[in-house]
Amino acid sequence: MLDTLLSGQLLFSVAVLGALYALIGLGLNLVFGTMRLLNIAHGDFLMLGAYSGFWWFTLTGISPLIALPLTALGGAAIGLTLYALVFRQQLAKGLDPAVIEARSLLLFFGISVVIQNLTAMAFTATPRAYRHLDTVYQLGETAMTGNRIATLIVALTILGAMLVFLNRTLFGMEIKALIQHREAARIVGININRVQMVSIAVGFGTVAISGSLLSMTEQVTPFMGFRFTIAAFVVIIMGGLGNILGGIVAGFLLAIIEIYAVTIFSAEARSILIYGAFVAILIISPQGLLGRARR
Amino acid sequence: MLRRQLIGSIVGATALISAFSPALADDPVRIGYTIARTGLFAAAAPSQEQAYTLWAEQVNAAGGLDVGGEMRPVEFVSYDDESDPSKAAQLYERLITSDEVDLLMAPWGTPHHLNVAGVVERYGFPMVGNTAASVMIREVEPGNIWFPTSAIPDQIGPQLAQMLSEAGIGSVAILANVLPFSQENLQFLTPALEAQGIEILMSENYPPDITDMTPLLTQVRAAEPDAVLALTYPADAFLYTGQARELGIDPQLQFLLIGPTIDAFANAFGPVADGIVTLAHWSPEQEAWPRARPFFDAYVARFDQEPDYLDSALAYMSAEILQQAVAEAGLDHDALRAAIAGGTFDTINGEVRFDGVQNAVTPTAFVQRQEGRMQLVWPPEIATASLVTQ
Repeated sequence: MLDTLLSGQLLFSVAVLGALYALIGLGLNLVFGTMRLLNIAHGDFLMLGAYSGFWWFTLTGISPLIALPLTALGGAAIGLTLYALVFRQQLAKGLDPAVIEARSLLLFFGISVVIQNLTAMAFTATPRAYRHLDTVYQLGETAMTGNRIATLIVALTILGAMLVFLNRTLFGMEIKALIQHREAARIVGININRVQMVSIAVGFGTVAISGSLLSMTEQVTPFMGFRFTIAAFVVIIMGGLGNILGGIVAGFLLAIIEIYAVTIFSAEARSILIYGAFVAILIISPQGLLGRARR
Repeated sequence: MLRRQLIGSIVGATALISAFSPALADDPVRIGYTIARTGLFAAAAPSQEQAYTLWAEQVNAAGGLDVGGEMRPVEFVSYDDESDPSKAAQLYERLITSDEVDLLMAPWGTPHHLNVAGVVERYGFPMVGNTAASVMIREVEPGNIWFPTSAIPDQIGPQLAQMLSEAGIGSVAILANVLPFSQENLQFLTPALEAQGIEILMSENYPPDITDMTPLLTQVRAAEPDAVLALTYPADAFLYTGQARELGIDPQLQFLLIGPTIDAFANAFGPVADGIVTLAHWSPEQEAWPRARPFFDAYVARFDQEPDYLDSALAYMSAEILQQAVAEAGLDHDALRAAIAGGTFDTINGEVRFDGVQNAVTPTAFVQRQEGRMQLVWPPEIATASLVTQ
C-alpha cells in the first residue's frame, strides 16, 4: 500500500489537480478578498476560457498555450467591464460587506445563467474537444501526458508569480492590505479603485487561463463550469476567505484528499471525504486553514 | 473546418427560418417537442435536435410531409425543458392543449420520456420516442408511446458477455459511474459475465463528478484484465480514455458505455479512439440499410460533424417512423396510433416494427471504431466488420 501511496503516478496527479484547483481558487479569492463579491459565475468564466482555447486551436491552429496571454486579457476585459458597469458604484457607496455579498451573489447568479445560455446560442451545446500535446512521456515508472505537464508548469508558474507579486511588490502589498482591512487601507492612502480593478482583472484573467488549460484534457460545453465553481468555493473557504496562500494550500489539500481517498478507500467515498474534511476544517478552524478574522 | 461550420450554422439557421416561414405554405403541420437546451443534459441534447432539424429540412425540401396523400410543410413548436422531466411533462401538456400541435416528437433522455408518457397517455396523443433506454420503459402503458431503441440494459449485459466470451476474453475489470443507466447495466452485466465464466477481477463504482481516475486506473493496471468495461457517461468517458492512455492501459478490449459515439470523442482522441467498443445499433457502414449512408452524409454536410451513432440515429429513426405512419394514416390520433402500432417501417437502421412499446426487430448491438469508421461488430447478423482485439 505504501508503495502505491508514494507512487510517482499518484503524486503527479495530485500535483496537476492541486495546481489547477489552486489556480481556479486564486481568482475567486482575489475578487472576494478585495471586494467581497461572491462570484458564483466563476466556473462560467472558466468555461469561456475553455472555449477561447478551443477556438484558438481549431480556427487558427495556434496552441492554447501560446494564446494564453490573449485568453487572460479577454478574461480581464470581461472582469473590468463588469466592474465598471455593475460593481464600481456599488462598492463606492461603502455598503456593509454582508449587503455587498448578498447583492453580488444574486447578480452573479443572473450573469451565470446569461453567460451559459448566450454561449449555447453562439456555439450550440454540442460538446467540443481537440487533440493537443497528447504525447505520453515516461519518467521512470511515471507516465505523463504532455498537456498535463503543460498544465502543471503554467499553473505553478502563475501561482508562484502571484505569491511573489503579493509579498514582494508594493502594489501586491496594497492588495493584501485591502484584503485584510479595507478601512485601514483607505486611511493610509491606498488607491482602492485601482487595487480593485487590478484584482478583478487578475482574478478573471487567471480563471480564463484555467479554463484554457482544461480545454486540452476535457470536453468543452457551455455548462461545464458549475463543478469548478463548487471546487473553487471549497478551496477558498477551506483556505480562509481572502487568504491567498491559504487558498493555494487548500487547492493541493483538496487534490490530496481526492486522489488518496479513492486509493485508500473507494471512489464512492470521494465526496464524503472531501466534504467531511471541509466541514471538519471549518469546525476546528472557522476562519479556514490559514484564515484570520477579517474586518 | 469549424469556421465553415459556424458559417454553415448561420446559413442553415437562416434557411431554417425561411423554410418554416408562413410564406412556404398556408397550412403547415405543426410538430411539438421539448428539449434540454439548458441544464444538466444540455450538452447531450443537440445530437437529437439536430437530427430533427435535418429531417424537417429534408421533408420541406422534398415538397412537404405526406399527410394521407396531401403534401404539407412541417413547422416545429419547441420549448426548452431545462433538463427537468416534470417541466417537460407540463410543456407537452401545453403543446397538446394550448398550442394544439398536430404531432409530437420526443424529448431527450429516459426520465423525460417516462414523465411525458403519462401526458400522451392521458390525452391519447401518439408519440414515437427515441433516446430512452431502461427496463422501465416496459412498465409504460402501451398504446401511445413506442421506443425504437434496442439498447436496453437487460439485453446489453448478456449480449456484451457473449461477445466477450466469443472473443476469448477471460477476465475483466469493471468501472461504473453511479448514475442510473450505468448502474442498471452493471446490475445485468455482472451475472451475465459470471454465466459466461468470465472472471471479474475488480468492480468499482465512481461518482459522476470524478476529476481524476488515476487511483482507479492504477488498480486496473495492476489487475491485468483481458478487458476493461467502463460503464461511463460522456464526461468520464473522456477522462477514462485520456488517463488510461497515459497509464499505458492497453488490454485486449476496452468497452465504454456512453461517450465514444459523440463527435467530440473522435476529435479528442483521434487514432486512440480506434479499437474502443461502445453501445450503438446503427452505422452508416451497413449497406443492407440503404438509408443509413445518405443520412450520415447529409448530417455531416449540414452540421460539419458526425451524428451521434446512438442518439442522432434514434431521433432520425423516430422521425422516419412518424413520417411513414402519417403518410398512411394522416393526423387522426386513432388512425395514427394503429398505424404506428401495427406498421413496419423502413428506417436508417433497417426495418422497424413494434411489439407493445418496444422495437421487435433491431437487435442489441455494439460498435467499434476501426481506422476512423464506426463499424457494427455485434451481433453477427448485422455486423459490418469483425471485432478487433489487441
